[in-house]
Amino acid sequence: MPSVKITLLIVASLGIFFVSLFLGPTLISPFSPGPIEKEILFSIRMPRVIIAFLIGIALGTSGAVLQGILRNPLADPYVLGISSGAAFAAALSLLSGFYLLGKFTLPLSAFAGACAASIMVGIFGWKRGSLLPERLLLAGIGLGFLFYSAMMLLVSISPSEGMRRTVLWIFGDLAMADWSVIPYGLAFIALGLGISLQRAKALNALILGDELAHSLGFSVQKERLLLFISVALMTGASVSLGGTIGFIGLIIPHMVKSFVGANSRYVIPVSALCGGGFLCISDLIGKTLLSPMEIPAGIITALIGSPYFLYLLRRRDVFQG
Amino acid sequence: MSSRADLPILELSGVAFGYERDTHFISRLSLSILNGQFIGLLGANGSGKSTILKLASGLLKPSAGQVTLWGKSLHHYREKDRAKLISYLPQFLDMHIPFTVRELVSMGLYPYDILPDMTAEEAMELVGLKGKSDVPLAQLSGGERRRAFIAMTLLQGSGLVLLDEPLVNLDIKFQLEIYRLLRELQKQKNISILMALHDMNFAMQFETVMLIKQGSILGAGTPEEVLTKDTIRDAFDVDVTVRKQDSGEMIISYTRDTGERLQD
Repeated sequence: MPSVKITLLIVASLGIFFVSLFLGPTLISPFSPGPIEKEILFSIRMPRVIIAFLIGIALGTSGAVLQGILRNPLADPYVLGISSGAAFAAALSLLSGFYLLGKFTLPLSAFAGACAASIMVGIFGWKRGSLLPERLLLAGIGLGFLFYSAMMLLVSISPSEGMRRTVLWIFGDLAMADWSVIPYGLAFIALGLGISLQRAKALNALILGDELAHSLGFSVQKERLLLFISVALMTGASVSLGGTIGFIGLIIPHMVKSFVGANSRYVIPVSALCGGGFLCISDLIGKTLLSPMEIPAGIITALIGSPYFLYLLRRRDVFQG
Repeated sequence: MSSRADLPILELSGVAFGYERDTHFISRLSLSILNGQFIGLLGANGSGKSTILKLASGLLKPSAGQVTLWGKSLHHYREKDRAKLISYLPQFLDMHIPFTVRELVSMGLYPYDILPDMTAEEAMELVGLKGKSDVPLAQLSGGERRRAFIAMTLLQGSGLVLLDEPLVNLDIKFQLEIYRLLRELQKQKNISILMALHDMNFAMQFETVMLIKQGSILGAGTPEEVLTKDTIRDAFDVDVTVRKQDSGEMIISYTRDTGERLQD
């Protein structure tokens, strides 16, 4: 067991989380913060960092699980069309100006869209009593394009006030983070993470293939469905908390595997924490680099993630699973 | 009086199965595997060997008939309980599986909450891979990779092991190596093995063979009894000469094909 590397990755991720609380456009002293700094820390910085960490956990875990159940190293939470479904529903609520549930309207409509998209992908991916990886992937890509096109149609025919916020949100916007959405986001992400961690052995078996997973005593259909539900819960919650933030689900599990190996019992928890740390540092860079202007965290994750992804691609062995 | 060796571990009774609705690829198949038997399941490509193994492992459900394991319907077992009694190694193994030898072999313990006697270290030693326990599977030769999967299957500790063409794509050295390993382990641990293969001469090494054609058993018994000129012609659609050497060893040599269209 590569315990030293695992410990280092966990310490680094948690370190980034705490450092992100005190660094930013305004530097906050962790030992003697003034009243304004305290206000910034508790009202703005803390909810934002917690939400970023939660989204990173959800996306890192979802990527690790999906790459296993789809047996495809290119899978990430967005390939299943869940984020496009969430983005379409959120854009619909943002652009219609229909704020029935106040500030909960956006996250709840995004979550509803994610759930609806997950169910539709699940229905199309279902054949002969089981979820088939190839069908899931194709259904996700097809429905994802459909939702994305519908959302772009909405944006293109709408007045400009809602448009900027919608576009920012599509690229992952953490600027609106506040305490009120944390409890429900935490609940869904904790549930999804709990299922994934508990089913880590089953995920290892599914990576071997359905026939060997069956021989090792797993119900392939049940396990794949459970893990798919965990991904849908985490992705839906993360999109509703901060929009569509790309690359974490794709790159973090690969990075983690290059350090700790492919065993899901280590890959899942370490991907969760590294995903959290990666989004925290991306958000810190996004809000500090051109301060007072903010760059959406999703753009930073892609700018950092793409070169690292290409570097990993050069080391082909990383992508063998 | 029947001893434990006479008890059937697995029985297929009047089993029917078809990959498409309303067509039966296998109809009314019955066979039983006794404790401690090492059976070679022999047949041409597409004869139904893999389908029989999948039915026997519970991967496929028969459309008629019954598969019983120790007298109880196979599909009534809890997954974990079934996995402790029967294990199955498919023909096609993903060669890009990202695990190390140790990680793969250790998965043989997944059905257990209380660990059995054999450890992953012992299983790796049995197949001669102890020195490569931390090597990724992708870096092993084809024969070593097969042995790693066999070690996982053995660690699973089930009394019945179903192997679908474990010797395919291996050169003769590895074929013999793996066969001898399985034979030794089967005797040592008194497990039953049902192994699909299509090499007639290799089948001569087995004590018991079953010859399959279109999902039906053409014959079962010792290779000398089952593999005759006529049965081989029927099963493989080729003419052969079956000779017994001075050493007592049987040799099957190919003479010509029959010129008829294959049935499967």
